[in-house]
Amino acid sequence: MARKRGRGMAACWYGIARTATVDRAAAWAEIDDGGSAKIVTGVTEIGEGILTVLAQIAAHEMGVKPEHVVIGDNDTARAPEASHAGASRQTYMIGNVVALASREARKRLVEVIAEVWDVDVDLIRTGNGEIWAENTNHRITMGEAVSTAKNRGVVPVGSATFGTDTTGLDPVDGSGRPWQAYVFGCQVAEVEVDTVTGEVQVLGIWAAHDVGRAVNPQGVEGQIEGGIVQALGQGLMEDFKLDGGHTSTSGFAKYILPTSLDVPRVNSIIIEDPDPIGPLGVKGIGEPAMVPTIPAVMNAIYDAVGVRILHLPATPEKVLMAIREKSHREAYMAAQAAE
Amino acid sequence: MADIHLEATINGRKIFRSAKPHQRLLDFIRDDLNLTGNKEGCGAGECGTCSVFVDGVLMKSCLLPVAKAQGAQIDTIESLAKTGELSVLQKAFHKAGASQCGYCIPGMVMAATAALRINPFADREEIKERLGGNICRCTGYQKIFDAVELARDVQNGRLPASALLETDTGEGDVIGKNVRRIDAPSKVSGRLKYAGDMTMPGMLHVQVLRSPHAHARLVSIDTSAALAMEGVEGVITSADVPGEDGFGVFVNDQPIMARGKVRYVGEAVAAVAAEDVLTAKRALAAIKVVYEQLAPVFDPDEAMRVGSPVVHDYAPDNVTKHIPIRVGDVEKGFAQSDLVVEETYSTQAIEHAYLEPEAGLAYVDHDGVVVIVSPDQNITHHRHMLARIIAKPISKVRFIMSPVGGGFGGKEDMIYQGMLALLAMKTQRPVRLVFTREESIISTAKRHPSRTLLRMGLMRDGRIRALEMKMICDGGAYGMSTEGVMRKAAILAAGPYVIPNVKVDTYGIYTNNTPSGAFRSFGALQTAFATESHLDICAERLGLDPFEIRRINAMRDGATTHTKAKLGSVSLMRALDAAEKASGWEAGSPTSRGATRSDLNRGDSRPACALGARFAAPGTQEAAE
Repeated sequence: MARKRGRGMAACWYGIARTATVDRAAAWAEIDDGGSAKIVTGVTEIGEGILTVLAQIAAHEMGVKPEHVVIGDNDTARAPEASHAGASRQTYMIGNVVALASREARKRLVEVIAEVWDVDVDLIRTGNGEIWAENTNHRITMGEAVSTAKNRGVVPVGSATFGTDTTGLDPVDGSGRPWQAYVFGCQVAEVEVDTVTGEVQVLGIWAAHDVGRAVNPQGVEGQIEGGIVQALGQGLMEDFKLDGGHTSTSGFAKYILPTSLDVPRVNSIIIEDPDPIGPLGVKGIGEPAMVPTIPAVMNAIYDAVGVRILHLPATPEKVLMAIREKSHREAYMAAQAAE
Repeated sequence: MADIHLEATINGRKIFRSAKPHQRLLDFIRDDLNLTGNKEGCGAGECGTCSVFVDGVLMKSCLLPVAKAQGAQIDTIESLAKTGELSVLQKAFHKAGASQCGYCIPGMVMAATAALRINPFADREEIKERLGGNICRCTGYQKIFDAVELARDVQNGRLPASALLETDTGEGDVIGKNVRRIDAPSKVSGRLKYAGDMTMPGMLHVQVLRSPHAHARLVSIDTSAALAMEGVEGVITSADVPGEDGFGVFVNDQPIMARGKVRYVGEAVAAVAAEDVLTAKRALAAIKVVYEQLAPVFDPDEAMRVGSPVVHDYAPDNVTKHIPIRVGDVEKGFAQSDLVVEETYSTQAIEHAYLEPEAGLAYVDHDGVVVIVSPDQNITHHRHMLARIIAKPISKVRFIMSPVGGGFGGKEDMIYQGMLALLAMKTQRPVRLVFTREESIISTAKRHPSRTLLRMGLMRDGRIRALEMKMICDGGAYGMSTEGVMRKAAILAAGPYVIPNVKVDTYGIYTNNTPSGAFRSFGALQTAFATESHLDICAERLGLDPFEIRRINAMRDGATTHTKAKLGSVSLMRALDAAEKASGWEAGSPTSRGATRSDLNRGDSRPACALGARFAAPGTQEAAE
């Protein structure tokens, strides 16, 4: 049998948002005419699905429908600072601050409506485009509520800022509080190694990751699946080569990327251990998703064929060489033992 | 060569246009017809985002000379939703969450459309094979396969059309629901404009002259011949920077264009703005640069040696950043250990390979505000730096973040926005720069290549007593995110494990290689590869199961980290349990196992692939229905 299968696993941890420095973000929110909503924050989509996540959070907090949330404006002259789009910080930093700004906008609206209805503000509920008071017949659309508020001279707006309680590292021993939210994860990989060609196919990954709270589970899966495949690229094939400062891999003909034929089936398991500090309990997933993949795959290769790849990437050439060395070594040992 | 008089049918409409013979079909569609839905990702037929139908056949329009369109029927991504209503396949992409950054998606939708036209009953394996010419860097492809299978089943009547609609909303909490992505319709239809799709009236095109040397002194730059060329409106070098030059994520060590010397192959030396790209390219060839070669250094270990060439004067030892972590006394820990295992690991540089190459547009507005529109992952910090560099108050600098066609950290560096600002100021016209794939690969940051020495001491029962790690990373010619990468790598190096004695040192080193910078997982990938591989080596030596050795050492609620931070709830044990259970893990020490085992072929992995074997003979699937 030329093809052998094996399994390996690896665990990971990761810090959410900027490292060893104070992170911060701000947002503005408005419950707008017709019961729509407007969120303004200085960041946009880089593909992770943040706009949808923010729309869900704003809808959840203000009681409007997610499809009625408008998000803008990723513009330093028009929006408050959201800082950068990276560090697995979008859902944590921007998500939490949008929740806080939305709560303030909602509070402005609810206070007016409670006064109009002459009910306690605590009895007011909002959801799915409507506003109502518990144990009463009062129920109107958010559009009507905004109109009522505006007729009383109130525009339901809110703003918020969210910052982390974090520190730098001591320059001598590294002590410090680099993050306030941590996530943990674990992945199992199943591989098939062709002992004739050295080719490794990753057939399956089981990925369990804590995200705090999944705002959009399909989006979380998308991050896990994409992160794993990027890691596979580094683990098995990608190699930016330099010789005397010049690259020989300046195009996709030479710089090999994973295609649809290279990818495993990814089985994602979402774990929710809510962050106790932020208002939503959310954490992050963008980066941690790819951290355990490579060692899990290398451990699986070892399980399959008994060779340990210490130097990435595990190209067919490298795996084949390692298999040959192993069989030569074993043959030599057997010969020695027979002496 | 004379212009071509082109007659063709584009998205169902007859066109009669003249075209330049050097144009590719992609240029004609995007630049002349302003159909920007199909993108350019590589210009070499490798990525597929430019895929269109030519007489009904899927083709990569970056490989077709425009003359090939003569008399042909061309359909672009815009043809699929002409009435405004998305096609079944586009709706399925929306429903399945198959688009992320969206840049590959127009080509992917075209390829998937072709796949289902060729075989309306294609199974998942055949779908994979038929999408093999299209690269996606974000999604991992899984949700794309899901989308194509969903569309196939709706088209074949196996599923109702309602399967394409939102199913998971309605009453109750909207958090935790699979609300369809609000940006997806614009991405699956090609309507979303990325920076490279944007134009402005009077816009000039920018090209950049790049260094062919890894380390050389700039003796002189003569731009006069370039500036004298017809159609050239502006040429800039570092001499045109009005303020305090220098940008970076942690240390401002990189000039907008090379100043005094070049430090890597591909570094910007000068830039030209001209009426069209071709003129700008010709002008680059007319710029005369005299270099004096300096001794380069390419190996980080060599760069750390005394007497090695110095890349930046401020760092005579070539150390960009060293981060130490110290807990307890590792030597004592090793002395107490029953087993000490030492190994060396290395990882290579890799490219982000976002499908959208860098692109940006800049102009000076009516109030004298310098505006930069680009797929920029850090507009807040970049406006601070640019204001200082162009000597303007922050209120006169405006950054707009255009939709990012993949970033992964690679678009956190301000490597071209400064040139755009200077050229917009110099010419007082809008300017646009779109990188080619080659330019993107040679000039932008990579993941730090690393060499890691790891030593671990354990007790016979599996408890780790000591961990010592030294990681040397090649940071390349400029600092970029090296400091942060070294910090995160060090903090997370020892893994989520309780270890009484820890000594970690990470070093980012300057060399004359392509700079290394931010890349998704930011140093943690390199150290986790070493630590998590090492744990399996140790587990085998101790006869422990890989899960078991991690459980023995796992941080629990309230644990103290290696930076002496106190954790609250720790979900590691839950993650270990969940992955073990979901995968049906068969317990045992990591070793080459025999043929009898129960954990393989459980149906939740994919079949192994033999190239080409997944194409069914035409009609056979259909007949089987």
